[in-house]
Amino acid sequence: MKISDCLKIVMTVSFMAFSLSSFAESVSDSNPPLMEVACRYEMKVTRITKPKSSITNAWFFWRTPNIIQTQDADGDHGEIWERTANGSIQYRKLYHTDKTAVEYMPTDMPTNNMSFDWFKLSGMMSKEELNTLKMIKIKRVLGRSAELRKGEINGQAVEVLWLPNENLSANIIKKDKINRMELRLIEITPLSLAVKQPIAIGDINNYRQIDAADFGDMENDPFVKKLMSAEGHHHH
Amino acid sequence: MQLFKKLNLIATSSILTIGIAHAAEPTPADWFNAGHQTVVNAKHLSRNNGHAKNVILFIGDGMGISTITASRIYDGQTKGGHGEENSLSFEKLPYLALSKTYSVDQQTPDSAPTMTAMVTGVKTIGDSLSVNQYVAHSEKDAKVIDANKLSTILEQAKQHGLSAGIVSTARITHATPAATYAHTANRDWEGDSDKLAGATVPDIASQLVDFNVNGGINVALGGGRTRFIPNTVTDPEYGVAGKRKDGRNLTVDWTTKHTNAHYVWDQAGFDAIDPNTTDHLLGLFEPSHVHYEADRVAHDKSGEPSLTQMTTKAISILKKNDNGYFLMVEGGRIDHAHHSGNAYRALTETQQFAAAVKAAIDATDPEETLIIVTADHSHVFTIGGYPQRGNPILGLTQGVGATKPDLDMLGLPYTTLNYANGTGYTGASNAQPEGSKTFSFPATAAWASGSEGHNPTSFSPATGRPTLDSAKVEDANYLQEAIIPLSSETHAAEDVAIFAGGPKAHLFHGIVEQNVIYHVMADALGFNDEEHSESDKD
Ligand SMILES: [Zn+2]
Repeated sequence: MKISDCLKIVMTVSFMAFSLSSFAESVSDSNPPLMEVACRYEMKVTRITKPKSSITNAWFFWRTPNIIQTQDADGDHGEIWERTANGSIQYRKLYHTDKTAVEYMPTDMPTNNMSFDWFKLSGMMSKEELNTLKMIKIKRVLGRSAELRKGEINGQAVEVLWLPNENLSANIIKKDKINRMELRLIEITPLSLAVKQPIAIGDINNYRQIDAADFGDMENDPFVKKLMSAEGHHHH
Repeated sequence: MQLFKKLNLIATSSILTIGIAHAAEPTPADWFNAGHQTVVNAKHLSRNNGHAKNVILFIGDGMGISTITASRIYDGQTKGGHGEENSLSFEKLPYLALSKTYSVDQQTPDSAPTMTAMVTGVKTIGDSLSVNQYVAHSEKDAKVIDANKLSTILEQAKQHGLSAGIVSTARITHATPAATYAHTANRDWEGDSDKLAGATVPDIASQLVDFNVNGGINVALGGGRTRFIPNTVTDPEYGVAGKRKDGRNLTVDWTTKHTNAHYVWDQAGFDAIDPNTTDHLLGLFEPSHVHYEADRVAHDKSGEPSLTQMTTKAISILKKNDNGYFLMVEGGRIDHAHHSGNAYRALTETQQFAAAVKAAIDATDPEETLIIVTADHSHVFTIGGYPQRGNPILGLTQGVGATKPDLDMLGLPYTTLNYANGTGYTGASNAQPEGSKTFSFPATAAWASGSEGHNPTSFSPATGRPTLDSAKVEDANYLQEAIIPLSSETHAAEDVAIFAGGPKAHLFHGIVEQNVIYHVMADALGFNDEEHSESDKD
């Protein structure tokens, strides 16, 4: 039970979010728009201290110049980041079965930053982080050119396979004393050709919208009730 | 000798209220004299039996008595004193009662039935806003709502020719402000897109703007913009889409339907408002709730007014009416900070709330204005251990004469402030590892991408307690330990305080049902007094 608990903690923190570990100034306007892609990733988290254990999951990643959407392999949970005209980011967690979006308001951001590093959000590594890592060699991944970079970020050993043409991480390996996390790109296609498409924005905007700050006052709401008890139960 | 004694008493009482660290420690005689002086002052209290021209009802959402005590100490310590001797502005109001907050169906209530009780005089069921207990939860039929709606003090004020205003740090459509002007059996139906399909009862935002008694509401200041803006229009501050599906832009409707009306959404627009030429002001400063006071100035993109500034502006607009006014002011995010398990933000919200009360006291005449300060319900927030006088209220408990923090039976230090339940439980959650939890946790958590606080959906059992130090627990983002792991800290059922000053304030005494607050306000304004109403017409 201890192991699964521990892994669960790591697993439920999506790798997308893991990569968003720091805020930074907005990407400058000089950046060209990023290529629209549809990806499938696999993430494996291994606990390297005893007792050893590991868990793997898969998820989808869709990127357009101003919207990034993810979805778990089971299709029920997702996240969406939208960059608005004035550079603000709207972030929502998506619960597709319940047709509900939970919004995290910029007002309630606990850190003193106005916007995300969109570049990092779009590629899972910031420019600063990439520059910190040492370029080892050029490789090919899924038929694309990739830079293998290695180094240390925030006390973690980090190894990245970076796709310079797509501005996207193909593989990321992060290791500390307890866990080894490996993200691996399984499939990448231009968004327009992808078989599995993201949920349309119009449909998401028709979901029920809840501000996460209101959870404490929604103790009788069936959705909030289910959300707050579901994960607590199924692994015990 | 007599004169000297009197001066001495004044000096003593000011020593006791301004903070002992600023002055010599009081002697036994000082304590005795100050206590005696309080009784002398009480003997000179005279009841004001006159009618109130104005009523201001302040609600600290979730501001239980432990929150008031801790905020008083925090406020005193930020001024350089020990803290315990300090008084928040409203603690100096002369009359006090306790309020029983349960609702018709809840032992521990939410903000909807509690505010309904305060503004209509009638208790109702959970989640219901100013409709009686016979209406089923989430009743869709507007006719049923209409047949069972409860008249509010704000509606009655307008009917009697007074002006009316609402101010909040929450969304202006949130339960507490909404109960003053809206009638619905689901507090969450704030915009049209929040309602169940087929519901004919109007959403709360449209009820605010369509409120038609005697020219409509005069002042509404708070958060909650997206429920007023159609989904075809983007937010002026963040660029996100509005949430209305009916195509209405209620901010435009506000200015077109009212005379001398303005809509503002940022500090500059707010500052530009001239109260002398404005009769209807709608100010919506964030898409949802406005910032915590602790974060407001540093974080806000376009700037937004404090609760004190909103209160002051509201009074200066409302006071132009010679018939008087009713104003409701809510410190709406004391509640949210507690739900997040973050004492620092709850105390700083309360500190700002007290500043807003002081601004209202300063801007009004106690002979003609009844000011009431209360809470809708409490929270499971405790002040424990045996800390010495002046111990930092957010800090580790350190006993009298001790040089190190007190230790528990595991040999570990602990804080004075704790929660009985909530997100500060120290077992690992799905968002943060085992140990102390924090409001911001940018290293690995999903919500580092822009959410507030620690919003766990699961916990694992804790093994023992974390090792704490002063730097960790006095940090603004520290979440105090909670015994029972919950996704959100909860309200509490014990009584809350009612502070009052002004005409008929003395009618608050003893322990009363929460709905008595309405009856005192109605009596003070003369709404229950037919003779008075008749003579008014002459
Ligand atoms: Zn609450």
